[in-house]
Amino acid sequence: MRDLDDELMERYRAGDENAFTLLVRRHQQPLVNFIARFINDRDGAEDLAQETFIRIFKASRRYKPGRAQFKTWMYHIATNLCKNELRNRGRRDRYRVDNVVDGDGDGGDSEQIDLIESAPADVAFQPEVALERKELHDAIQTAIAELPEQYRVPLVLRDLQGLSYDEISEVLELRSGTTKSRINRARLMLKDKLQSFVSCS
Amino acid sequence: MKCLQAEEHFSAHFEDTLDYQTLQRFEEHLAACEACQQEYTRFQESVKAVRQLPQIEPSPDFMPTLLQRLAEEQREIGGVSEIIGTSWKRLQDVFRRPRWAFSGIVALLLIAVVGGYLYQDGFLSDRDAQPTVVITPASEESQVGPSPVELPVDVRRSVPDVNRFLPRGVTSTSQQPMQRHYILKQVSYTNASTRGGL
Repeated sequence: MRDLDDELMERYRAGDENAFTLLVRRHQQPLVNFIARFINDRDGAEDLAQETFIRIFKASRRYKPGRAQFKTWMYHIATNLCKNELRNRGRRDRYRVDNVVDGDGDGGDSEQIDLIESAPADVAFQPEVALERKELHDAIQTAIAELPEQYRVPLVLRDLQGLSYDEISEVLELRSGTTKSRINRARLMLKDKLQSFVSCS
Repeated sequence: MKCLQAEEHFSAHFEDTLDYQTLQRFEEHLAACEACQQEYTRFQESVKAVRQLPQIEPSPDFMPTLLQRLAEEQREIGGVSEIIGTSWKRLQDVFRRPRWAFSGIVALLLIAVVGGYLYQDGFLSDRDAQPTVVITPASEESQVGPSPVELPVDVRRSVPDVNRFLPRGVTSTSQQPMQRHYILKQVSYTNASTRGGL
């Protein structure tokens, strides 16, 4: 069965402007989410996501359907843009947490949360539970942002974007074994960072 | 299986991709090791927690802003300003990195030094240019007299050896080594042709 993204790219190359708009609509949300989790900056994420689409727009003539999936091509471009952006920002504000994580960030002793027990369907109607979840989300985002880049990117692609190991290997141009071991290592590091939040009952 | 080996299989077990033999050894170890049991439980909980993070949505301005930027790009494509702008930006990006800036400067210096050396050596001058022999009156030796007269090299073709048989008053300019070299080649060619019976 033919990939819809490939078809949209071909239609766009044939002069159908709406095809590109549709491509953007299909991928804008996952792309913004990926970049925001990667660089830990929501505003910067939108700018980089737009830059990614502009790069795709400019390189659309060179895109060869079937040689690479549109999705992995898009994440490949976005990953390179993010790496450049972080390099340019420098080490000092590399792990800024002000946009994605907007909690108080005092880093004090946190109450342990049983993740399974604390996930009721009507969480929006229980302010104290919602607050706990917010704290947990902030802690997770901070922990992800603190991971070394080589572990952070495959982890985000796998656990937040839901890409397969093969797709991640394609995006990052890694061997399959390397991808798997990096993701496992990233998860082990996160487990240690989130120790105070995750109960083992 | 030891604890460190078991840890390496956490993800594969969590995603149910272990082969049968490894799965058996992993579960045997876990059943016997309480520390690994606890670590694996924490591992599973933290992976589930990460996967429950809410998706970040783009703002309502995302698409209009992107379409505006795309329209601007489209206008610029094909224009000279786009080409210059991108090249300049890339160059700036490259030279923003100290290592590349240093390499670039070293490369430019090398090009300048090698180019200057080759130019001085006459390597870069035009070999196909019509060579000339400068004929000067004898009075030139005393740096007094009329300006040198330039004649095409054909005039010298019948002279077998420039250095030995130049008539009085005819000199090749020492400041132009390429010209002198060319003349010698021409003369040599004439000699060979003569010997060949032409």
